[in-house]
Amino acid sequence: MSQQKIEIDIEDATGYHILRAVGDFDVYTVGTLRDSIGTMIEEGKTVVVVDLDEVPFMDSSGLGALMGGVRRLREAGGDLAIACTSEPHLKLFDITGFGEGVSIAPTVEEAAKGLRDGAGSR
Amino acid sequence: MRMSLRWKIVGGYGLLLMLIAVLGWVTLTMFGSLRSVQRDVFDEAIPQLEAVNEIVRSYTAQSAAVRGFLISSNAELLQQYSSEVATARTWQAEAKRLLSSRRDRRLLQDLVATGQSFQRLINEEVIARARKGKRTQAFRILGQDGAPLISEIEVLGNLLQTVQKDKVAAGESELQQNSSDALVTLLLVTIGALLIGVLLAVLLPGRLVANISRLVEATRAIGRGDFDQRVEIHSGDEVEELAERLDEMQDGLKRLRTLAYQERELEIAASIQQNLLQRSLPDAPGAKVWPLQRQANLVGGDWYDVGFSGKTLTVVIGDASGKGVGAALMATVALTVLRAERSLGTGPKRVIEKANQALKEATAQDSFTTLVYLTIDVYSGEVRWINMGHPSPFLLQCDGDDGQTGRGYYLEGPRNRALGWFDDPGLAETVIQLRPGDRLVLFTDGFLEAKAPSSEAFGEHRLAQGLSRLSRVGSSELGEQLVQEVELFAAGKLDDDLTMLVTEFYGSEASPDGRTGVAEASTEV
Repeated sequence: MSQQKIEIDIEDATGYHILRAVGDFDVYTVGTLRDSIGTMIEEGKTVVVVDLDEVPFMDSSGLGALMGGVRRLREAGGDLAIACTSEPHLKLFDITGFGEGVSIAPTVEEAAKGLRDGAGSR
Repeated sequence: MRMSLRWKIVGGYGLLLMLIAVLGWVTLTMFGSLRSVQRDVFDEAIPQLEAVNEIVRSYTAQSAAVRGFLISSNAELLQQYSSEVATARTWQAEAKRLLSSRRDRRLLQDLVATGQSFQRLINEEVIARARKGKRTQAFRILGQDGAPLISEIEVLGNLLQTVQKDKVAAGESELQQNSSDALVTLLLVTIGALLIGVLLAVLLPGRLVANISRLVEATRAIGRGDFDQRVEIHSGDEVEELAERLDEMQDGLKRLRTLAYQERELEIAASIQQNLLQRSLPDAPGAKVWPLQRQANLVGGDWYDVGFSGKTLTVVIGDASGKGVGAALMATVALTVLRAERSLGTGPKRVIEKANQALKEATAQDSFTTLVYLTIDVYSGEVRWINMGHPSPFLLQCDGDDGQTGRGYYLEGPRNRALGWFDDPGLAETVIQLRPGDRLVLFTDGFLEAKAPSSEAFGEHRLAQGLSRLSRVGSSELGEQLVQEVELFAAGKLDDDLTMLVTEFYGSEASPDGRTGVAEASTEV
C-alpha cells in the first residue's frame, strides 16, 4: 500500500528553522504539511528550509502545499527554501516554474543561503 | 440514579419475598403467643386449680369420714380418713410444685398449716377421745374446733382458686386479644403483599410497555424521515438509555442525510463538469482528437477543450493542482475563461493571460493550474503550443513503410510557469511540423505521478516506453490501454485523475499550400 503518513520534525538552526519531512508529499499528507507550516507561522518561525531528503514521492498536491507555504511565509515576512536532490522533485519544480522563485539547493545550508535577505527576524 | 431493569425485577420480587417472610414471622409470633397462653392456662393455672380443689376436697372428706366414724364407729371410715390424709399430702406437694408466685405459696403454706392443725386436732383430740369412748366430747371438739379449721381451709382454697380462675380468665382474654391482633396484622400484611404484587404485576410492566410504545412510535416517525423525535423517558433503566441512544442515532442520521445531500450536490457538480468536458468534439478535416479521462473522484482538476475554427484545430489540456471540489472549481474557472475568450476570437497568448488573471483571483493559497494550449493547422500540419508548467507533449511517429513501426519522444521546448500564481508566467511558444500519421499525445501529471506501492512514480520514462510500445494501437484504444498499464503499476490505486488527448494528423489534400512538412521544432518567445 502507498504510504499515507508523514512525519515532520522542526529543528532550530542559526537564523532559520529546518522542517524535515519523512514520507510522501501527496493528497493524503498535504494537510499535515500545511498545518505544520501554519503552526510555525503562529510561533513566529517564518524563515524555513524544507528538507526533502526523505520525501521519496511528491505530486502536484504536495507541490501546491509547498508553494502555498512559500506564499504564506512570505506574507508573514519570512521565506521558504528547499533542500532537495531528488531528480523527479527537481523536474516537477522545473516543469511548473516554481523553481525559479524559490531557493532550491542540494543541502539545507546551501538552500538557506538563498533565503531572501532580511526575511524574518534572523 | 440509573437502575437496571434486572435489578428492578429482582427488587420487586425481593420485596415480595420480604413480605412473605413478614407473614411467616407474624404467624410464628401468633402461634408463640397462643402457646404462651396455653402454657399459662393449661400447663399452670388448670393443674393448680385442680390441686387446690383436691386439697380442699380432701380435708372436707377427712372431716366427713371422721364425723361418720364418730356416728357409726365404722373402722373403714378411719381408713378412709387416713387415705384422704395421704391424698391431701400428695396434692399439697403437687400444689407446692405448681405454684410459683409468692402470694400463692403463702396462701398454700397457710392452707397446709391449717390442714396440719386440723389433722392434729383429729388425731390427738377427736380420734383419741372417741377411742376412749368419749364420743360426745369428740363430736363437740370436731364441731367447735374442727369446723372452723375446715371453713378456713375452704376460704384459703377459695382464695387460691380465685387467683387461678383469674389467671385462666386473663389467659382467655389475652388469647382473644392476641388472636385479634394477629388477625389484623395478617390481614394488613396480606393486603400489602397483594398491593405490591399488583404494582409489580400491573404497574411496572404497564410503565415499561408505555415507554416502549413511545419508542416504537418514535422509530416509526424516524423511519418516515422525521429525525426530530425526542422521547423523554426518566425510568432510570435500559429503556431510558435506549431513548438517549435513539437521540444519538437521529443525530447520526441527520449527519448522514447531510452527507447524502452533499453527495448529491457533488454528483450534480460532477454532472456539470462532465457536461463541460464531454461535449461532442468538433469535426475537423485532416485531424482528429480522441479524449480519455479517468477521474479518481467524482469531480477532479483535469480538464480539456477542443475547438475548430477556419483551418485551426485548438486542443487544450489543463490540470488544477489538488483534488476534489476545489480543483474542480479551478478547472471550471479556467475552462470558462478559455471558452469565453476563444469564442471572442482572442489569440492563445491573450487567452492564457486572461486565464492566469482569473485563476490568480480565484485560486486558493496552494493551488495552481498547468496547461498546454496547442493549435494545429489541419492543412499544413504546423503545430504551435504554449506550455504553462505542464508535462511536455509526446509525439508518436510511424517511421516504417508498413506503418507499423513507431518511435516517439517528448517535445521539449521552452516551458512557461504554472497559472494562478505568477504575475508574469511567461508565454513562450513552440512550433513544429507534423507529418501525416503523426500523433500528438497530451496528458496530465496523473500518468507521471501514479504511485506504486513502493512510492515509486510511473514517471516520464515508463510513459514514453508505454506509448512507443503501443504505437501500433489505434488512437481510439491507445489511451485506454495506457491507463491499464498505469493501473497495473499503481496496484489499482489511482489517487489522481488521468486525462489523455490523442490528436492524430492525417494531412489534407485540400490544404491551401499542400504542406505536409517534416516535424521540426522551432521556438518563438
